[in-house]
Amino acid sequence: MIESQRHSYHLVDPSPWPISGSLGALATTVGGVMYMHPFQGGARLLSLGLIFLLYTMFVWWRDVLRESTLEGHHTKVVQLGPRYGSILFIVSEIGGIWPPKGIGVLDPWEIPFLNTPILPSSGAAVTWAHHAILAGKEKRDVYALVATVLLALVFTGFQGMEYYQAPFTISDSIYGSTFFLATGFHGFHVIIGTLFLIICGIRQYLGHLTKEHHVGFEAAAWYWHFVDVVWLFLFVSIYWWGGI
Amino acid sequence: MATAIVRSALSRATIRAAPRTSVAHKRSFSSSAGHDDAYEAAKWEKITYLGIASCTALAVYVLSKGHHHGEDPPAYPYMHIRNKEFPWGPDGLFEVKHNEGH
Repeated sequence: MIESQRHSYHLVDPSPWPISGSLGALATTVGGVMYMHPFQGGARLLSLGLIFLLYTMFVWWRDVLRESTLEGHHTKVVQLGPRYGSILFIVSEIGGIWPPKGIGVLDPWEIPFLNTPILPSSGAAVTWAHHAILAGKEKRDVYALVATVLLALVFTGFQGMEYYQAPFTISDSIYGSTFFLATGFHGFHVIIGTLFLIICGIRQYLGHLTKEHHVGFEAAAWYWHFVDVVWLFLFVSIYWWGGI
Repeated sequence: MATAIVRSALSRATIRAAPRTSVAHKRSFSSSAGHDDAYEAAKWEKITYLGIASCTALAVYVLSKGHHHGEDPPAYPYMHIRNKEFPWGPDGLFEVKHNEGH
């Protein structure tokens, strides 16, 4: 079969995951609305939709990894697709940041200031990981990714601590709403980036990533730098400027 | 049939062998680039350790300083807005629980 292919493009097999992902998203949206309004079965539909979505993500990405790593369908030409896709996705994520006016309650020079060097440090660790892959040092790369992920988890831990101790909630004034919306969105992206990096670390440990072919790692590293830069904006606008 | 199997096995073997030789070829070709990456990897490893060390030092300083609790703010009309109950109950998610015995 492979011998008969005279081009370097990947013609994908029919897959059930696009439709199952769409149904999962529909159930999640409707269930979420029902949960937030007093409708019966809202929480159940929301959980069902989320489980469906998570299952779809798992099997779809499992298929992509099989196609690229085991079946070798991701030629240099095919690799351009996910590269452009990742860049466009990250660019599409750049929304607006509105600095709030109102009650400044959290001291920016305590935990937020402590978190500010933690994310760039994990950015340095992911750069270390990238050069380790390019140099063919696969074991060092796993160490570098472990360092990256540990710093990410410390950051999330401190943010969780800060959330728990915050004397205001999302429904307390415009400041509270803006604060929790902005930092919550960022925190959610930090968690996604951390999971992405953990998957890269596991794949590196299993020997999936080579110095010639590691698009998945590159996408995770770009995403991580993006999350890192957004934190710097948040620190300046929400914590520092917003707290004045 | 048998020859076809042998032929396909042979061609598969050459396909499998091909990238190996090309990799070996590339390696000797770009040995200086590989060296640069090793240098860069070592440099960023040191930067990471420096970052971890400064973060640890800052963490010890910030956490040992402790943080001062201000007085409870006055009950501003724009604070603690509860028009309806949260889906999960009366208290906010990251809030000190007021309704523990509820």
